[in-house]
Amino acid sequence: MHQIKQILAIARREQKRLLSRPIYLFCMVLAPIFGFVLFTTLMREGLPCDLPAGVVDEDNTSITRELMRNLDAFQQTELVKYYSDVAEARNAMQKGEIYGFFYIPEGTTEQALASKQPKVSFYSAASYMIPASLVYRDMRMMSELASGSIMRSTLYAKGYTEDQAMAVIQPIKCEMHAIANPRLNYSVYLCNTLLPGLIMLLIMQVTIYAIYVELKESTASKWLGMADNDIVVALTGKLLPHAAIWTVMGILCLMWLYGYWHFPLNSGIWPMVLNMFLLMAAAMAFAVFLCGLVPSLRWGLSLATLWGVLSFPISGFSFPQMAFPDPLKALSYFFPLRHYFLIYVDQALNGRPLVYSWQSLAMQVGFLILPLLVLRRLKTFLLEYRYTH
Amino acid sequence: MKWLRNIIDVWFYDIKNALLDEGALVFFIIVPLLYPLLYAYLYGNEKAFDVPAVAVDCCNSYNSREFLRMADGTPDIRIVAHCADMQEALEHINRKEAYGLIYIPKEFDRDLMSLQQTTVELYCDMSGLLYYKAILSGCTDVSLQMNKTIKASRMPGATDEQISAAQYPIEYEYVPMFNTQSGFATYMIPAILMLIIQQTMLFGVGMIAGEEREKIRKGIAEPHLIGKKPHEILIGKACVYFAIYIIIAAYMVCIVPQMFHLIHIWDWRTMLAFMFPYVLSCVFFCITIAGMSHDREAFIITFVFMSIPLTFLSGISWPGSNIPHFWKVFSWIMPSTLGINGYVRISEMGAHLADVMPEIIGLWIQTGVYFIMAYTVYRKTYSKQLFV
Repeated sequence: MHQIKQILAIARREQKRLLSRPIYLFCMVLAPIFGFVLFTTLMREGLPCDLPAGVVDEDNTSITRELMRNLDAFQQTELVKYYSDVAEARNAMQKGEIYGFFYIPEGTTEQALASKQPKVSFYSAASYMIPASLVYRDMRMMSELASGSIMRSTLYAKGYTEDQAMAVIQPIKCEMHAIANPRLNYSVYLCNTLLPGLIMLLIMQVTIYAIYVELKESTASKWLGMADNDIVVALTGKLLPHAAIWTVMGILCLMWLYGYWHFPLNSGIWPMVLNMFLLMAAAMAFAVFLCGLVPSLRWGLSLATLWGVLSFPISGFSFPQMAFPDPLKALSYFFPLRHYFLIYVDQALNGRPLVYSWQSLAMQVGFLILPLLVLRRLKTFLLEYRYTH
Repeated sequence: MKWLRNIIDVWFYDIKNALLDEGALVFFIIVPLLYPLLYAYLYGNEKAFDVPAVAVDCCNSYNSREFLRMADGTPDIRIVAHCADMQEALEHINRKEAYGLIYIPKEFDRDLMSLQQTTVELYCDMSGLLYYKAILSGCTDVSLQMNKTIKASRMPGATDEQISAAQYPIEYEYVPMFNTQSGFATYMIPAILMLIIQQTMLFGVGMIAGEEREKIRKGIAEPHLIGKKPHEILIGKACVYFAIYIIIAAYMVCIVPQMFHLIHIWDWRTMLAFMFPYVLSCVFFCITIAGMSHDREAFIITFVFMSIPLTFLSGISWPGSNIPHFWKVFSWIMPSTLGINGYVRISEMGAHLADVMPEIIGLWIQTGVYFIMAYTVYRKTYSKQLFV
């Protein structure tokens, strides 16, 4: 009973501290909300449409013009300009005006009609990977269709039906089914990990700041004194109000993603609530662990910054983990965001039974043990170290 | 020439300060040196090769086995298991042993023999778009190749040219320019390099500014600043950060791409004309923002999270042409947006001065605006010290 009273007293003290400094309001409420809104509205189109592209049409016949009109009608590509030669179009790419261009050399129509197999080419500014690959996809499809349409008219003339003609043109066809994200929505693909990642990053920073700012302001002994120097009670009391605020923010994040934006949620909401809680708890535990490793606000924050920012690439939601070099593959297991991502893929995205996520769930729980390893060290730091400039 | 002596005074004192302060040193030197190496190492494979996939071959004929063998042979796909039915195949995907599924229907061979079109169904786990890309492009290539053979076999006595012309009345060729292998490192690292310049400078400058303000609040005067005018302090300090970061920038532009074989086809005059205003605008931008810094550490935690949105606002990942207007204007506040776009185009796409003129002008405007703002900040901060 006594300890519970102590915890509550410390929690009330922390609550006052949280309310008295704008930095907490900023980092715990405003920054996450800013991030949620920014990422989801930035990518609200899902798949970018009408990417600017160009044409170099040296042939300029009714057939090539028709072809380019068709390309313009594709969803991802918009033809913004005709260029007189390749050098000019290339220069437009260097200026950042277009992401790709289609090149039709002189005599293409004539050679095609004479079955002489002319060649068209398309170029993309592959330094901009996403728009370049989307423009590429449309241009390749367009080229296939152009070939196909010429063959089809020949075959129709020979008396083939449409099905027969297609079987001659393309005996084997591949049909892709993108499980759970059929429209290749980029927002689904990125925001599901970016938003929780942002919360994780902020939790790590704020937790370390809240603990070591006591050392900086020489209030650490008073804080521990309120718990009779029991570090567990002191930490529990201190982090209780934090946990409450983060819980609200975590739920808000889930509501924003799955309630407002209707991202795929094939598992139902509860596994994701569990996932979010584990991520937040793991982030907090990890922050306490870092506090125990380095006895200084500055170094603790620097470490948390490096670890937190590195979480994003190493969790493998954009560049897959299987392509990492082996040492980094191993390192990736020590990032809570990596496990959040894996659980999200199993649950919300694919709706698999929870048992398939057991390894990641276990790792997240494992992070919660980390602070226990450094409790005594942390206590010594808090009681004996002095903040130095 | 008293002002010049004052500036040099501030410069000497502050560069010593910056290089001896362990916290600032981490952000000024260690992170900019090591982070690019880490990222380059992480993305070093450029692509997802040999994405594991499972096969369900209901047809089990010569042709279907040939299709799977060829798919396995592509650099994109590795077939890890042949399953009897979808249930078994899904189990592999659920256990994350495979990210793709190639399903060949029972009618595969019959369709081919009876001159009907047949369909191979592909399924892909959407946890990574590079899996999707690998599975789709691997299987499409195989189908095109097999189609060619099948069509050839249906045209007895045809020459290679005839077969080829029948396959493609119009041939086509794709040329990915600049990032010739569509690699991930080549696409992402230039943006990260430019962002590191701005963000690490921001943290370092913010830390130093925060500490100074803490001291001012406590009434501890910086001896070297006494009797100096705000613009002298500003220029002196700006030169410190500029000197450090022009070296860092040189390292990122010249050495990192060389080390990791990233594409760098820049023209040195253009690069110089561009990096100079970029680093300069970053310096004054950081000094201005650091005006909000009231203690050493709080500043970092308010700005670390911005690193992630800034990558996306630059238009390197989500295309710049499709960024909503509001965010577009917002992104122009930070030098990094112009910096990333200009750098990518100069370094990877070989753009010349005229091609990146809008970015260079933009950076100079930012330099001017932030210089004035930084001056206002310094006048407010150091006016008291003048009369100590």
